[in-house]
Amino acid sequence: MFTWSLAIRNLRRRKLRTALTASGIVVGISMMLILLSLVSGMETQVRSMVRALGGADITVSNSTSFRDRAGGFFGFLPSPSTLDASIVNVLSGIPGVYALSPQYSFSGSINGRRVTIYGIEPASYEIVTGGLNIIEGRFLTENSAGEIVIGKALMEFLDLTLGQTVSLSSGQIGAERTFKVIGVFETGMVFQEYAAYIALADAQEITGESGRITHVLIKCEDPSIVSEVSSLISSAVPGVRVATPTIMVQQATNMLNTLTMFFATIGLVALFAGSFGVVNTMMMAVTERTREIGVLKAIGAKSHDIMKLFLTEALLIGLIGGGVGVLAGSILAHVFPMLVPGMFATGISPFGMRNPFSRPGTTNPMLGGTTTQTFRLVLPAITPMNVAICFSLGALVGILAGLYPAWRASRMKPVEALRHV
Amino acid sequence: MSKTTKTIVRTLNLSKIYRRGKVNIQALNNVNLQVSSGEIVGIMGPSGSGKTTLLNLIGGLDRPTSGKVFVDGVDITTLGESELADYRLRKVGFVFQFYNLIPTLTALENVEVPLALAGVSKNERRERALSLLRMVGLEARADHKPDELSGGEQQRVAIARALANNPSIVLADEPTGDLDSKSATALMNLIKELNRKNGQTFIIVTHDPIVTQACTTIYTMRDGRIESA
Repeated sequence: MFTWSLAIRNLRRRKLRTALTASGIVVGISMMLILLSLVSGMETQVRSMVRALGGADITVSNSTSFRDRAGGFFGFLPSPSTLDASIVNVLSGIPGVYALSPQYSFSGSINGRRVTIYGIEPASYEIVTGGLNIIEGRFLTENSAGEIVIGKALMEFLDLTLGQTVSLSSGQIGAERTFKVIGVFETGMVFQEYAAYIALADAQEITGESGRITHVLIKCEDPSIVSEVSSLISSAVPGVRVATPTIMVQQATNMLNTLTMFFATIGLVALFAGSFGVVNTMMMAVTERTREIGVLKAIGAKSHDIMKLFLTEALLIGLIGGGVGVLAGSILAHVFPMLVPGMFATGISPFGMRNPFSRPGTTNPMLGGTTTQTFRLVLPAITPMNVAICFSLGALVGILAGLYPAWRASRMKPVEALRHV
Repeated sequence: MSKTTKTIVRTLNLSKIYRRGKVNIQALNNVNLQVSSGEIVGIMGPSGSGKTTLLNLIGGLDRPTSGKVFVDGVDITTLGESELADYRLRKVGFVFQFYNLIPTLTALENVEVPLALAGVSKNERRERALSLLRMVGLEARADHKPDELSGGEQQRVAIARALANNPSIVLADEPTGDLDSKSATALMNLIKELNRKNGQTFIIVTHDPIVTQACTTIYTMRDGRIESA
């Protein structure tokens, strides 16, 4: 039929009205896209967080006084005092524990740059955490004395290449040793890449703490029993602090889901309001063109032909609104964080708490700069999925809003419609 | 073409009562009308005498309160909505006083609408619409919108549209009512020519002597009844 060309021409006949009606949808769609993109951005951050946390279900550390301010949990938690390495045997006896890996992390300096150094046991570390994302060279092995794996950002910062040697010291004691760079890892988050991995024995030797560890990383037999196992550990082993990163991630994911729901609701309410504009415009169009409907019916148009004609017009308004909305949303999603830098560019972690080290203006030993430069946590991510969702939502709103007016038009009796002036 | 005496339209005790608030208005009162194929029938009468109501019932635009309308032997009052739409699409063509062309479409596209509704393919309907416009002498105006055409031209486009699916009956409600006498005469000459060439039956509601001169039969209506032939 002429459905499409008729619909397009009718909309063009009332350009301003069409534009105003579509703009109601534009507001809702662009809002939806901005919000969805922000949530996607946060999701990306959380996902890389999960990767960075390395899949250890539980970490156990000494619950008593702080030793220094670096190390520990990627800077989120200050690092505690050390534990005796024999605790590994105690912990491995706890039911539900699948694998363990001891770790000695400390704040050291590489070529004079203060960073976090992780001393680990390569084999068990890979089992518990799934290993690092090595982008160049290789990871540590059992015979990796004197070898080091460094984060990509730190490599670039120190202008290092694979195979070079670096000098590493623990700061406190001042003992210095040289290490050969054998691998580079990437996490996608700059601050996590200002770190290096060496063999556990090397770490203990440099710090002069032979037989001591700072953390035990634990993988449970099943992800669903993590909280049970962690409370078992708390009650069975006195004086330790038990953290459950995967549960934290789960909580963060739950929070994100809530946030998505909340934002989506706001966007949907805006869309709902916009859809009334479409209903109104279409009702007006039906009234204005009553006579035309009568004529079409008189020359043989069936009810569904009329229905199709008006639904197509409403759909077109929805498509215009969806298209422009996606465009406007994409632009605004990038402008928005610039307008509110306090919210999007500083140290709010995906866990919703302030990074204890990231007071604006202070230099964080881990991050190698002021936090405002490196801690851009929530960057909107405009994914094809989000665009597709928003665009089709515009079309859907158009069709839904057009249903009643189109139905009214299709139900008109030809004689009465023809009498309409 | 040969004029047969076959009956094409027959109404049987056709009545229509409208309710206007609490008052019933008898628009048609037991009308029995017989139209032979190939006739040009004129229906005259004062306003409110039921002419348009009769035309609408024959055209399947409205349903009677009682009585029957036979077209080619089929009682169209028993048809469902969709069948009735199909009847209007293929069996009859409508011409209105105020042309009622679709303002957003060109002359050619207006003629194409019934063809498109009938499912005729794009190329075929373009060709057919062009030949119809040629027939009414408006081929050169094919790409003009209705507001770029004179009243007489618009009415000729409307006739071309009414003839699109080659209906056996054309129903016209005061087709010359908005035209000057020159255009009206030209229109009636066209109708006579079409009637002669294609044998189409015309039923025309009118007050216009120019129209009645062209008719083969004239009925006069008063108070919902046919008074005289």
